[in-house]
Amino acid sequence: MEELCVVGKPIPKLDAVDKATGRALYIHDIRIPGMLYGKILYSKYPHARIAHIDVSKAKKLPGVRAVLTAEDIPPFKFGFYKDNTPLKGGKVRSYRDEVAAVAAIDPDIAQEALDLIQVHYEALPAVFDPEEAMKEGAPLVHEENRSNILKLPWKMHFGDVEEARRKAKYVVEDRLRVTWVTHCCMATSGCIAMFDASQNLTVYSNTQIPSLAQRDYLEALEAMGLKGKRVRIIKACIGGAFGSKLDTYPYEYIAILLAHATGKPVRIVFDRKEEFVATSGRQPAIIDISQGCDENGRLLFRDVRMILDNGAYTSWGATTPSVMMMPISSLYRVPNVRYEAICVYTNNTYSQAMRGYGNPQATFAIESSMDRLAQEMGMDRVEFRLLNANGPGEVTPQGFRITTCGLKECIEEVRRRLDWGGPKEKGEGVGIACLIHVGGGARVYKSDGCGTIMKMDDFGKVDVFTGATDMGQGADTVIAQVVAEELGVRIEDVKVIHTDTDVCPWDVGAHASRTTFVACNSALGAARKIKERLLELASRQMGEPPEMLSIKDGEVFCKDDPEKRLEIGKILRKAHFSQGGQMLMADFFYDPANENLDKSFRGNLSMTYTFGAHGVRVKVDEETGKVKVLKYVAAHDVGRAINPLLLEGQVYGGALMGIGYALTEQLILEKGEVMNPNFRDYKILTAKDAVPIETYIVETMDKDGPFGAKGIGEPGCVPTAPAIANAIWDAVGVRLRELPMTPERVLAAIKEKRANSG
Amino acid sequence: MARRISFLLNGELVEMEVEDHWTLLHLLREELGLTGTKEGCGSGECGACTVLVDGMAVNSCLFLAADVDGKEVLTIEGLAAPDGTLHPLQRAFIENGAIQCGFCTPGMILSAKALLDKNPNPTEEEIRHALAGNLCRCTGYLQIFRAVADAARRISQEPIEVFPRRTD
Amino acid sequence: MRRFQYLIPRTLDEAVSIVESYGERAKYIAGGTDLLVKIKEGKLRPDYVVSLKRIPGLDEVKWQGSTQSETRIGALVTHRKLELSPVTRWHYPIIHDAVSNIGSVQIRNVATIGGNLVNAVPSADGAIPLVALDARVRIHGPEGEREMELLHFFLGPGQTVLERGEVLTEVIIPPRNSRSGGAYIKFGRREAMELPIVGVGVVVELEAEGDVCARAAIALGVAAPTPMRAFQAEKFLEGKEINEKTLDEAGRIAAEESKVRDSVRGAAWYRRELVRVLVKRMGLKALERAKKAEG
Repeated sequence: MEELCVVGKPIPKLDAVDKATGRALYIHDIRIPGMLYGKILYSKYPHARIAHIDVSKAKKLPGVRAVLTAEDIPPFKFGFYKDNTPLKGGKVRSYRDEVAAVAAIDPDIAQEALDLIQVHYEALPAVFDPEEAMKEGAPLVHEENRSNILKLPWKMHFGDVEEARRKAKYVVEDRLRVTWVTHCCMATSGCIAMFDASQNLTVYSNTQIPSLAQRDYLEALEAMGLKGKRVRIIKACIGGAFGSKLDTYPYEYIAILLAHATGKPVRIVFDRKEEFVATSGRQPAIIDISQGCDENGRLLFRDVRMILDNGAYTSWGATTPSVMMMPISSLYRVPNVRYEAICVYTNNTYSQAMRGYGNPQATFAIESSMDRLAQEMGMDRVEFRLLNANGPGEVTPQGFRITTCGLKECIEEVRRRLDWGGPKEKGEGVGIACLIHVGGGARVYKSDGCGTIMKMDDFGKVDVFTGATDMGQGADTVIAQVVAEELGVRIEDVKVIHTDTDVCPWDVGAHASRTTFVACNSALGAARKIKERLLELASRQMGEPPEMLSIKDGEVFCKDDPEKRLEIGKILRKAHFSQGGQMLMADFFYDPANENLDKSFRGNLSMTYTFGAHGVRVKVDEETGKVKVLKYVAAHDVGRAINPLLLEGQVYGGALMGIGYALTEQLILEKGEVMNPNFRDYKILTAKDAVPIETYIVETMDKDGPFGAKGIGEPGCVPTAPAIANAIWDAVGVRLRELPMTPERVLAAIKEKRANSG
Repeated sequence: MARRISFLLNGELVEMEVEDHWTLLHLLREELGLTGTKEGCGSGECGACTVLVDGMAVNSCLFLAADVDGKEVLTIEGLAAPDGTLHPLQRAFIENGAIQCGFCTPGMILSAKALLDKNPNPTEEEIRHALAGNLCRCTGYLQIFRAVADAARRISQEPIEVFPRRTD
Repeated sequence: MRRFQYLIPRTLDEAVSIVESYGERAKYIAGGTDLLVKIKEGKLRPDYVVSLKRIPGLDEVKWQGSTQSETRIGALVTHRKLELSPVTRWHYPIIHDAVSNIGSVQIRNVATIGGNLVNAVPSADGAIPLVALDARVRIHGPEGEREMELLHFFLGPGQTVLERGEVLTEVIIPPRNSRSGGAYIKFGRREAMELPIVGVGVVVELEAEGDVCARAAIALGVAAPTPMRAFQAEKFLEGKEINEKTLDEAGRIAAEESKVRDSVRGAAWYRRELVRVLVKRMGLKALERAKKAEG
């Protein structure tokens, strides 16, 4: 293996110094002269007609510059299913419906104005259970539809599941439930919208999808009668995302409308309660799964049916089935797979992307079921998984072409570190669960591309303009690393700019753990071009053919005679300051050679796939039901770790988020209302709850990944819940089928088991 | 309903008028333009707004501005030396990967400072206890613990004064 | 936050007369971590906020050298001061168990024991150990001073006996015999920043020799609208040897006595189970501490 200078090293995140000194600017910190503060009035009912809104008192309050309701804005529908509007008129369909908005000279006045708006509602019968909402005669959430079931194509069948079921020696069936959890980014949502004198729009935003958001905002501007305008998105420092910024929210459109109405910049920032109530978290699901294997333990079929509570409006939650298909069809070798998902409107909150995007939900079902099947046939749960594990070079029923695959190695490492099969104290148990996730981009849209523009200046410093988004995960740093490595410059001399659509090229978005793979390959493409031209220039100046030259630490030197060297800056200055001078710039658009899924959902969605296995040892307190995680091992095939320090951060953070998903987190809705919209009662894990996580990486050196790397942003939180559920089963013999596995639920299950075995 | 207060802010004497209902967080961010201290929840449940008052970590969102009269306040902006030399805690956080999105970082570093000032050699249990009121969603905390322990080692090898106090 | 006028009196009488004259328009503030949250949420809208922080004499721990004498804790003593005090650490570990886990270090640095008691939530970690220690409270008001048992200080969730203008000034822990020990546990889903699903505090006083219980106190939080004592369970333990078996039974009786309800944080049946189990566990811990605490 070649000796690398920068790639593979634990380089600290490039913007960490700014963050450690309080210099980093988040939306909350940005002030623009003349800026107004916007606030939103939410519905007081889960389902009601809006009879009348009286904004007269609010409008008269000194300091208020605009009050908007649905009547004041052009009719404009947005979202994946085009069923959402920035302000709701006619009726409200959930407690988080935006009914009115105010812009004022300070936030306190804006809040006071909201209190002065009088809305008269006429309550309508509401529905909060998706299975109820599916029935004939259920209240219709969107009256223009004939039913609450969305017309979505989530149906997949490869092979013949019924035939396989007949042939199977062992079959298990389970129903599992997962509920709402939410991102809990430490910075709340917000944006600043402003128009210039020609009505071009600038938005300071936290978006993960700058290029797509531009398109969303342009559609809004068109609806407002502003055609052919420019949209500029400037990204402030993002205080956490995890998928929460992957869709464009009503509040963003509201900020734009208020900015247009007042002619001033308008900033909307959520408070923490709003963050819990009015942002969209992880998609809940009711999952029916059955799996079967032959007498030797080889999986024959997997049959999954899901009902998804779509809430009152549609965002990415309704598309999670397209990702859930991935583990259903391709986690382990299963020749016959079938899946159907139904999304149903209710008067609850609605969901969007959250780290894993459906994979954690589906994997909870699949891996719980795998354990049950292993038990059913009396096979060791690790052996059962090794027997069915995917391997390199295979093609799954969905058409995924697996290139590199370190799954078996991950499983074996977990088995070793957990001392699987070794002595256990009373109440202790071990569990394992595996994962597959896209690791080489994901062609979710027609494009999976990312653009890079690169320039090198007269001093040998490199500017990398990328379409990628850094939201704290370290995209800025790994891009700088691969560029520095390729060009032979020091990392201090590389600057990555990713924050302005006026300057940065196109990218489809920070989703599907694609950023390292796609953005780094894009940067490498541009870097190779720059390197080629640089060596050409050097070759002319040094009198050596380009193939005899090498670059290291910012100097070009002759391979045969290292004493013959020139500093890059000197080479460039000479090239620039001469007759017919040249500057050094390059661009590259990398669009991976993966495929869109066809109408039957077959296709090679990603260039490569990330695999992993998580193992956990727990201790269950059989009198209180409390589960303590004694040991946690997270093993991943990452292709190559471009930055082991940042990679670890992704695994630790993802795993702890997953442990919260498994044990403590739930957004509690009662008749559509969020009962715990605060950190007191929504339990994300604290420093005292943190679990020591052992990481293990397998470097399979993927040939398509930048320096061999695959994606790792999401895998950390994919198999955590089933690993823990499986360990609880091993510890006390109870199978938990609903998340979170709170002490109360664990104790209830233990008591039920005792009563049954009586 | 305003009153005059005087207090030391990051080593400098500040005299100003404050409204009775202002929190210390509002004073720092909105009146003094020190936006390093963050608001995460406004109700003392996340610790993002942590600053040190007379060396004690407090949630500035629940601390009345009027109550800093006669006291010493340290915010993240005052931690590095005037010449820009980073405090060992800042260096340790940066080098140990303890910073991702960075929103919890100012509060987290200051809570850690309050700990190390009183307990220069904490156990991991003591570090967890001191940071229990600072939520982080990105890192899973483990690299933060390493950073605090690392900082403790660095400090014991190089005793530093954070900023020289102005006594005029 | 809604505007208010902040008044900082220098004497107790001054504070009392301000609040008495403004009535509902004025509220006392100690640490502020409960009051300011309520003002921000619009639950309280005082025009005047009256600080108790600059009144001398309210923030001391008066320890007389042994638990066999009375100990007094000023209402303005912060949880953090109690957490770090050798008095609680070595002599009233049941208080230390509770205060060291209230909120966070940031909260404990400003929140006070008096504020915690006056806030009167059923889960009050500050209250349960004191109720188990048979604490009394001293109240200063327009009519003068009065003292009463802490257990009877609470009338309901968020409600105390305090009349207009009255201030809680001191908590008084009565003397105990030399062989006494106590322990408290707050049970929640995570290890920090928790409001308890239940809180259980047990204090045992042993006879001169052996493990026989002379007196026991079992205090429960979130098991009723206010902090409560499980008197029947206590009576059961009196005169008996304290061991797993008797504590099991005491736990069962205490669980029966409790008035648990369903809430977002936990179901009633589960709370009852926890009371049963935790009374036993805290009883064992209290026993262990009682035996260590001789002399």
